[in-house]
Parts: sequence; structure tokens; C-alpha cells
Amino acid sequence: MISCHDFITELGNLLDNELAAEIREQLEAHLADCNTCQVLYDSTRKTLRIVTDSGSFEYQPVEEPLVSKIMDRIRAGCELPATPSKG
Amino acid sequence: MSFLPETDNPELLASLTVFKQHFGFVPRVFKAQMGRPDLVESQAKLIETLLFGKGSLTRIQKEFILLAVSGANQNSYFPAVHSRTLQFLGVDPEKSQQIAVDHHQANLSETDVALLDFARKLAQQAHAFSADDVEVLRGHGFSEEQILEAVLMVGLTNLLNVVQMGLGTEPDFKPRLVFPLKEVNPPEDSERPILERPLVDESASADPDAEFVARVKAGETDAFEELVRRHGRRVYRSLIGILDSVEEAEDAMQDAFLKAFQHLPEFEGRSRFSTWLVRIALNTGLQRLRGRKDFETLDDESEEFRPRRIQAWLENPEDLYSREELRRLVEMEVMKLPSKYRVALILRDLEELSTEEAANAMGLTIPGLKARVLRGRLMLRESMVSYFAKAGAGVNA
Repeated sequence: MISCHDFITELGNLLDNELAAEIREQLEAHLADCNTCQVLYDSTRKTLRIVTDSGSFEYQPVEEPLVSKIMDRIRAGCELPATPSKG
Repeated sequence: MSFLPETDNPELLASLTVFKQHFGFVPRVFKAQMGRPDLVESQAKLIETLLFGKGSLTRIQKEFILLAVSGANQNSYFPAVHSRTLQFLGVDPEKSQQIAVDHHQANLSETDVALLDFARKLAQQAHAFSADDVEVLRGHGFSEEQILEAVLMVGLTNLLNVVQMGLGTEPDFKPRLVFPLKEVNPPEDSERPILERPLVDESASADPDAEFVARVKAGETDAFEELVRRHGRRVYRSLIGILDSVEEAEDAMQDAFLKAFQHLPEFEGRSRFSTWLVRIALNTGLQRLRGRKDFETLDDESEEFRPRRIQAWLENPEDLYSREELRRLVEMEVMKLPSKYRVALILRDLEELSTEEAANAMGLTIPGLKARVLRGRLMLRESMVSYFAKAGAGVNA
């Protein structure tokens, strides 16, 4: 029998569908019995779906101004600063 | 495809039963040599006697040598074929992969580690190889016959690797790893070798950017513009994952593209351009991060994370909000994650890189990367409970 701790350890692989069949079966058996892990699995799966579909950080202004800026620097044969600028 | 024609003529291949028996098919590297069937048969005979035949080393030890030496030669073709075979012998593909990358991290017995140290040294630094190396194996209890088999296995693997690379044979199926060579190393101004882990799960042969890369390399600077347009979003996302300010991510994005342009002559197309570019972006971002006062390293070991808020969620939680609201909510919550989890999560779940690619880009082992992605997902889930849980459902654990 696997524990809730084992389940959480394997949760990432379960979500990514990267498990051998027999481990998956054990996890599913655990899920059938454990309400806590069911809720955890369901909500994490939904979190992932929301994140993946959210289009977050899709960079709109990659359009013209920035492209031109980059290309201008390249065409000018611009050198990178020797030390990276500090944030 | 190979540089020389491959044959699928069943009559010609009929005699190569040894491969069919052990792999279920004739690997393409041999199909590409059928201009001289007699030479293929000789190789098959050697492989059958040395690798598949009963000897003093175990079959698995010999397969391990093949993996480790192929890894040392940055050959991904043979690990792909043999990790499948090993799977049938009870060896987990992750483990096979780890042996090809670094056998010290593969949970092997001390004896097997010594054997593979020996094999890699002979394959890579034959000039520095000496009687002392043989003595080390004797010290681990290896017999003379076992040592002889080990030496021959190294020789056989080198032969196979060179033949495959010389014929340019593409994998029989998608390999778990491709070893991009030196172009994935960081530009020389990096302080930490974050880009060195040579593991990418991708087939570099069909890089959609190849044409533009070639044009830029041929001196057509303007062609780079298309690459900026194609990959700006990806580079930006990788950077915002590390640097939590829009302005800084924009600045770093410019630097990353500039760096990529300057280093393009070193890019040899052994990995995809886009993967190479993301690595440069991450490296650029990490350099900036290191310059900060509140620098948060990306490589700390993390303690375990225990989910606390166990409340059932709505069936379709995303229906509660508009698309724009969801986007802003995700961005806000993702940005609250510690950067080491944030980067991992962005690369896997927003950039949708494979586990191997993301691990490679962050300089982590695959289990290390997986642990970090999971932690990020669980933390994010925790922060989203208040938005998406059913009213009054469940309790906090």
C-alpha cells in the first residue's frame, strides 16, 4: 500500500503521465480510497490546466519597438557590456 | 536518413537475425552499410559474440559500458536503442539515461562505477590510460577475462559510435536524449556552468529555424530579425521567470538576443536553435539575478512541501473569471513563487519544454527539475484555492 506521502512524491509524474503502468495503478488505487489525495490531485490538475491555458507572460510588445531596438543594436555592431548590469 | 543509402530490402536484411532477435528490428545504422553486407555481417558477429554472448561480465555490465562510452562520445543514437533493450532486462530508462550522462549519479554499485570510470577514460583519454587503470579494476575484483571484455566493449562502442556519426544515421525512433555539443556552453562571461548539462530531448535534424540561422551565419544580418520575432515571446517568458520585473526582463531580452547573435558562429546546429537561445536567455537572466542583493540561488535543496489547504474545487473553475482575469491572476500568483520554482514551472508549464530540455536549461538533473516543478505546482495550487474552491468545501489539513 502506498501512503499519501508516496502519492505526493509521484504526483508530478502522474500529472505528466510519465509513470510505469504498475505505479499508476497503485496511485489510482490510493486515489480511490483517499479523499485528501483526490482533492489534491484534482485541484493540482486544474491549476495546471488554468496555468497552461492562461497565455500568461505572452509578450505582446515583442512587436515593433523592441524588435527594432534589438536589430539596431545588432546592426550597430554593439558590444555587450563587460559586466552585466545590476538589478 | 543517412549520408549513404539505407536499404529496406528484406532479402538483404534476412541474414541479420541477431538484431531482430535482440532489438526486434535492424537498426538503421546497419541498413546504411548494406553496400557491403559482408562487413555488416562481421560487425553483427562481433556484437553477437561480445555483447549478447555469454562472457565473464554480465550482459547488463556490457550494456552499461556501451551507454557510458556513447555518452562520453556524445552519441545519442546508441543510448536510444539500448535503453529500450535494457528496459526489457529490467533497467529503468531513466537510469540508462543517467548512465549515459554521468554514471556517478546513477546509483550504481561501487564496482560498476569503477568499471565505467575505466571505460570512459579509455574511450576519451586513451593517451593517459595506463597499467594503473587496469590495476584499479583488479583491485575491485575484476578478472583478467572481464578486463579484456571491458576493453573490447569500449573498442566496439567507439567503432559503432564513429560509424553512426560518420554515416549520419538518424535515430530509429525519437531518442530520449540528444547531446548537443559545445555550442550549448555558456558564453565565456558566465561565472557558473549552468548551461553545460548536455541533455536535450529533441531532434535537431528538423530545426524550423535552420534556414534563417544559416542565412545569418552567411552574413545576412537582417535574417536575424525573423528569429527575434519568432522567439521573442519564449525568451521573454524565460526571463520574466527569473527576473520579476518587466523592465528588467525587456533589457535582458535585448542582451540575450545580442549575445545569441554574437555567438551564432559557434552554434553548430546540434541542438535546436530555440533551445540554445533559451539557454542563453536563462544564463543572461541568472547573471542579472546574481548581481542582486537579494540574490536567491536557483540550486538550493528544498525541504519537503506539505499541501495544507485541502478543499474541493469547482468542476470548471475557469468559468468564474474572464480570460483576461485568469491571465492576470496566474501572472500575479506565479510571480509570488520563489524564483527557483518559478523558472522550473514556467519552462515546463508555460513554455512547455520537455522535462529533459528544462533540466538541461537550468543545469539540473531530471529528478531535481521534477522536484522543483512539482513544488512550484503545489505552491501555486495552494495560492489558488481561495479563488477556485467550492464555497464551504473541505477543511485545511
